[in-house]
Order: sequence, then C-alpha cells, then structure tokens
Amino acid sequence: MMLNCDAVKSSASPLSAFPFLTAEEFNCACHKFAERARSCTAAQEDGGWSSNHDLFSLRVTKHVEVQAPASEDADLRELSRPTVPATSRSMTASTQTDVQVRDAQDADEEPEEEEAKDPEALIRTNLRPTLQLDYDIVLSQTYQVPVLYFTLRWHNDSSPVGLDTVYQYVVPQQYRQQLQSVGVMGGISLGYHPESGAPAFFVHPCNTADAMTHVADERLITGETYLLVWLGLVGQSVNLHVPREIALGNGASSS
Amino acid sequence: MDNPASPARVQQCIWEGRIPLEIALAPSESRSYDKTDTYMASPDHAHTFTQGTGGLVDALNRSRVQGSHTFHRCSQGDWPSEDLVRLDENGMVMNDAFINSVKEADFLRNGTAKGIMTLSKEDSSGLWKAVEEVDLSSFQRISQILLPPPSQPFRNVPIRIFLPLPPDEEAGLLKVVQSPLPPFVSNSTGAQSASPRSSPGTQPQTIGGALHALLPNLFPSRRTPVLAKPVLHGAVLPMSAPIEEVVRCSAYGDGWAYIVVRMMG
Repeated sequence: MMLNCDAVKSSASPLSAFPFLTAEEFNCACHKFAERARSCTAAQEDGGWSSNHDLFSLRVTKHVEVQAPASEDADLRELSRPTVPATSRSMTASTQTDVQVRDAQDADEEPEEEEAKDPEALIRTNLRPTLQLDYDIVLSQTYQVPVLYFTLRWHNDSSPVGLDTVYQYVVPQQYRQQLQSVGVMGGISLGYHPESGAPAFFVHPCNTADAMTHVADERLITGETYLLVWLGLVGQSVNLHVPREIALGNGASSS
Repeated sequence: MDNPASPARVQQCIWEGRIPLEIALAPSESRSYDKTDTYMASPDHAHTFTQGTGGLVDALNRSRVQGSHTFHRCSQGDWPSEDLVRLDENGMVMNDAFINSVKEADFLRNGTAKGIMTLSKEDSSGLWKAVEEVDLSSFQRISQILLPPPSQPFRNVPIRIFLPLPPDEEAGLLKVVQSPLPPFVSNSTGAQSASPRSSPGTQPQTIGGALHALLPNLFPSRRTPVLAKPVLHGAVLPMSAPIEEVVRCSAYGDGWAYIVVRMMG
C-alpha cells in the first residue's frame, strides 16, 4: 500500500470519524509520530519509537531493570529517584527513568547519560535480570481505535511471564487497583498479537472511543494529537510514556 | 415442531453437534517403548467451538482425505509460551477472552459497546457458564438481550475469515481477515430488494458477495465457488446465504461466525 500522508487529512486537519480513526489516518499518524521520534534524543534513548511500514503499527521497545531480591536495598541511588513507582521497589527502568526525569524536573542535568558513559555501570546492568518490554500500537479492526499490545521477555532470568509479572513490574502502583477492578480479570487481557500471532498482553480498547470524546476537542484533533492524547490515557497505565520532546514538538502538551 | 430450517432449529443442531477427536501422544512424548494408546473423545460441538477448536478442525480438514493431526503435550515446564497463551487453572484467561470476543461482536452489531454493559453481572457470567455447560436455553435467553430484534438489522456483521494454510504446512499461523461488513449493500441492478428490512436500492449482502469483496482472487464469482469454498461448522456455506442470517442462526457462542476458506481440488 502506498501512503501519501501529506495529502491525507490525518496530519493536519480534523479527523473524519472522531472518536474513531480510519486505517489511513492511523497509518499516517504512526508514520509522522515515528518520524518525529527519530529526531528526538529522548525517544531514541527510550529504546526507540519506530513505525512499521509494512504493518502500519508503532513500536516501542524498552528494558526494565529488575533488582534481584537479595540486593533489594543495595542500590539506594536508583531507588531514591523520584520517578520510580512507589511500590515497585524492585524495579528501576533505566531508559524510561531518563525520560521521566526530564518530565519531572525538566532539568538540564542528565545523570543517566553519565551512567551510560561509565563502562562499569553497563557491566553491572547486564548481570541483573531485565525485562524487555515491546509495545505495539495497532488499529483495532473492530473498534477502529488504537490498541496497545505488549510482550514481556526476561533477560538473565527464566521465570515465566504472566499477568502477575505485568502488575508487579509494568503497571505503576497508582493504576493497579483501578486496572484490576474491571472486567473478568482486569483491564489487561491476554490474547494473540494481530500481526505476529504470538501471545501478547493488551489494554482492552472497548472504552477508548468514549474516553477520547471526553478529553479531546473534536474540532482541533489531528491524527498525531489523537495518538498523543491516547498514549496519555492508555500508555501510562502500563508504563509507556511519551518523551516530552515529542509532545512539545506537536504543540499538544496542553491537552 | 419447529420448521426444520428455522434459525432456532439450525442453532440447536449446531449446539448438539460433536467433533470426534482422537488424542494421541507424539512419539517423542511417549514414555512407553511401543506406542501409547490413543484417547477418543467427542466433545460437544458448541463447547469446543467457542474455544477455537471448531475453526481449527475446519481448517485442518482442508484436504479431501481427512488426515490426523499431531499435537504435543505441554507441561508447565516446556510450555511453548512464544506460541500459545498460557491458561490458568481457574479458567479466567479463557473466560476473559470469551467476554472480549462477545464485546467485539456486540460493538460491531450495534456500533457501541453499550450492549454488553447493560447485562447484569449474573447474566454476564451466566453467558460463559451457559457455553461451558452447553446449556442452550440459558444461552439463548441471555444472548437475546444482546442481539438486536430481527426487525432491526445489524450495523455490521461479526465475521472473521480464516485463509487456507499453505499446502505443505501442517501447523502454523492461520491468517485471519476481518473488515466491517454491513448486512446490506447497494443494489447495482436497481431491482426491488427481496428483503422487506432493507431500504430501497439495497439488497442483503451474501456470503459470496462478502468473500468476493474481501478476497477477489480466491472468489472471482459472487455466486459460484471456483477456487475455494467457505466452510462453517464443518459444512460448506451457500454463496447466496445472507451474511446476517448466517450469523444470527449459526454464530459461535461469542457471537462471531468464523468462516474457513478451503481450497478446492
């Protein structure tokens, strides 16, 4: 399929079927979003945001570093960071922390980059169990809204990955109760990834359209701002944050 | 006695259907030297169907000679988690997947996610229980609440189409096609519609019409299967059957019709 996003409404003018997205609007929004992310340092450090040109999805990969239980108190420096979710004491997310530090303090100092230059820090990191998180944003054929799929993979650890792993290491504490209290087994479901066919978790999309009408202005919203607002609604609950640079670049930080 | 071809009778036949299964251990999994006895079972059709087994059986039986299919035993330790969702002993994962699927069908039929939300908590869990226990009367009572009355057409018809597997491949990922399918399409011939429910200038979308629109290479004709035929619940579907009627009387427990495309010849 050829895409001519400049000619498509999605990039700059209002959406044709808000609160729903057409396939073309979604594909172009992903494409533009990934382009913007490529020129954004924080997004690149965040494991990379990229659009898949063949499948029309947006992919984000990041690694969450998990401390071994025995050394839980060892790394106070990391634990004391303001951005680590309060009860995820055993979790630090190195790349994501970097992005969040920018968010929280908007500071010029960049502690993570210093650590990245320190070879010893890298060696230490590699010995710890880490969780690799692959997020994929795809358009639901049924609901005509984006759906956030994600898969988890342990490195340096052979534990199985289940829903409990998701709530323990991925969902920030302030969202846990709210997410777990809905539906049969909470707002996060297990299913098969629509493109790869592999088992994946996803945030259930059935309330997305309603939620979007409540928070976004139909007259002003474009494909890209739709994705940003949607990521704000859905992404945070599973620890996916939009780097501030990208949000500001869209002029949509106020929504 | 019901008309033998009434929607209720068709639905009852499907629920009473059974799939003969022969379950055998793969030789590498067998602990005995020779051969482990196979296990014969014929679970209720409707029950296995909701779990995707029905579609799988339709897909695997694509060849004229019905072959046997070997599945591997999976224990917790060697669970193929890259390929299969790991189920829990309380059945929550399956229950959740069923309800998600029911919600999707509901959304397509009505254009909103409200239908399933209006079900009481008892009916909501009762729907899954009815499927688990193959209790057709409870199932019908609850699903009537979800379905628009026969006089009111669906907004879109919940159909997923499974494409044929490559000939040499015994197992593998089934490619699924899904697209919004309204129950009526504009009438190109200008003839008066046969259905009193459709508005002027439209006619009911048929299985053949939908397949031709979505898969023109496999279905070059709307009326006659040329290269492939559509299979549902082990039976070949008539190309002229209106899609909404097919789904109203022969959907799976979750409200969807999973139609398997089987190559001919």
